[in-house]
Amino acid sequence: MPQEYGDRVSLHLDVNNGLDSVTELVHTRLVESGWKDEVRLACRKAIVESGDRVPTVDELISTITPKARALIREKVKRELLYKIEHILMNLEKVGYKDLEDI
Amino acid sequence: MSTVGCEHFQEFKSNPNNLDTLRWVHSVFVVGSSKDKRTGLNYNYHQTKIMNSFCHTCNNRGPNLHACIDCVFFGCLPHIREHTKEEHHDFSLELTYGQVHCTKCGDYIYDSELDEINKTNRKRSDTFHRRLFECSTWNPTEEEKDLLTLYTQRVCITDKSQIGLRGLVNFRITCYMNSVVQVLMHTPLLRDYFLSERHFCKTDSESCLMCILSNVFQEFYNGDKVPLLLHKLLHFIWTHAPHVGGDVQQDAHEFFIETLGLLHKHCAESINHTSHAVVTNNCSCIIHESFTGSLQSDIVCQKCKGVSTTIEPIWDFALDLVPGALTLVECLKHFTKAELLDNFSMCESCGLPRQVTKQLSIKTLPTVVTFQLKRFKKSDEGHGKVATKIQFTEMLDMTPFMSTKKADSPFPSDNMYSLFAVINHQGETSYAGHYIAYVRQLKDHWYKCNDEVISRVGLDEVLFSEGYILFYHKHVLGYK
Repeated sequence: MPQEYGDRVSLHLDVNNGLDSVTELVHTRLVESGWKDEVRLACRKAIVESGDRVPTVDELISTITPKARALIREKVKRELLYKIEHILMNLEKVGYKDLEDI
Repeated sequence: MSTVGCEHFQEFKSNPNNLDTLRWVHSVFVVGSSKDKRTGLNYNYHQTKIMNSFCHTCNNRGPNLHACIDCVFFGCLPHIREHTKEEHHDFSLELTYGQVHCTKCGDYIYDSELDEINKTNRKRSDTFHRRLFECSTWNPTEEEKDLLTLYTQRVCITDKSQIGLRGLVNFRITCYMNSVVQVLMHTPLLRDYFLSERHFCKTDSESCLMCILSNVFQEFYNGDKVPLLLHKLLHFIWTHAPHVGGDVQQDAHEFFIETLGLLHKHCAESINHTSHAVVTNNCSCIIHESFTGSLQSDIVCQKCKGVSTTIEPIWDFALDLVPGALTLVECLKHFTKAELLDNFSMCESCGLPRQVTKQLSIKTLPTVVTFQLKRFKKSDEGHGKVATKIQFTEMLDMTPFMSTKKADSPFPSDNMYSLFAVINHQGETSYAGHYIAYVRQLKDHWYKCNDEVISRVGLDEVLFSEGYILFYHKHVLGYK
């Protein structure tokens, strides 16, 4: 997906409060599927392995992010895609505010 | 004990204006709304938030958007770092969770005053944001500190952990009890309830089944591996429900229902219901919360099509094995099929005896759904067993059997259930033979519990087994 296009999608989601509900949903699903615990374990492991020097949060983010992304369950991804599609398709029905209005 | 951030942040804090700025930016861009306690006015910063929340360098709206505290600048992860470095600005605020980053330290900082800001701002928010409750420091109470110093051993749960698995000694004929106890021990909702010590006993613990079960839970999850003797439980059952105790082999299902009944009675006593009726459907004890659903029965008059509906609570689904039904879903279809009754019944709307059909459907689903496949048929030669193989699946969607069907949507369906335990009977009749249980542990590992022997098995073996009582747990729990 081109950067610009993805960004417009996220702006639309933002304007209609959809992003908030989707974020909370994904958050819940990630905790439920055990993903959060796995990432926590991976972080702990990375910190222990790094020895005496404790890595900064930024370093941790850059090492863990690719692993963490790969760990997300396929089911969660599918549901998220479905939700976002649903929101974008129903923009008109739910009283979609045009960007110029705000 | 309070957390203190870096020296740079202490210096920053010494100017009260700085903290005010931080508080305001947090309130607008992290929380998004604020209610003034004195004036009662609501401020919604939704528009301000949207108009400004994008990276000033690459125009992306995230992820990991930060706001600079020293000037008006927003940036995503690499760009905010570039900005603060070039401009020598000290602090930036992460906009999803409200964490503060210090440029000089090169890392995020934790300070109790930041916690305080998060706390007050999220309280003023007009909507509940779960994410804001996840990133605050934990201040243990005195009691918790004591516990932490007493229990220093850490247990890391991995795929190979055997915690929660315990063999049970068979007192000659108590395999029916062992199987049921194994299932109860691995019922997620019950496990969470008992391990978080939610049962406060008001009677003496010797005569309370909840307390006895609570002790069994402690034994199961303390890491020991020696097979357990359930003498207390057995003694209790002998004295309180002799018809399912006795010295002969019992039916596991009868024992299970009897145990639930006793548990409910003792649990209800301890949560102080003054006039508690056993049949009430709105009991708040853990047994009812987990196992009770309700069944709707519609009697339809064949003449006037008038419907009379009754709703009754249900603890388990006893499914008939009928010829032609070879899967659990088919058995459930048969269970909820409209059936023409032989006798004429009084129709309420006609006022005359009419031929009627009766149809059962599920009004509300319990969190734990139990299916008993009625394998034992009463006949002249005792209790013969029907050994037909009934196929059952790991996931089960209960939507088709509900009274009110929601609009068809591919997902998410709220009525998804996953298998977590199976009790099997081996042998010819209900009074002879042997019971074993399969239980799920740690997400999707399966174990076969045959009295004192616990062995790891694959899901296939479980699904190919005969199946006598099937236990399904609601896959995703909602909030009430």
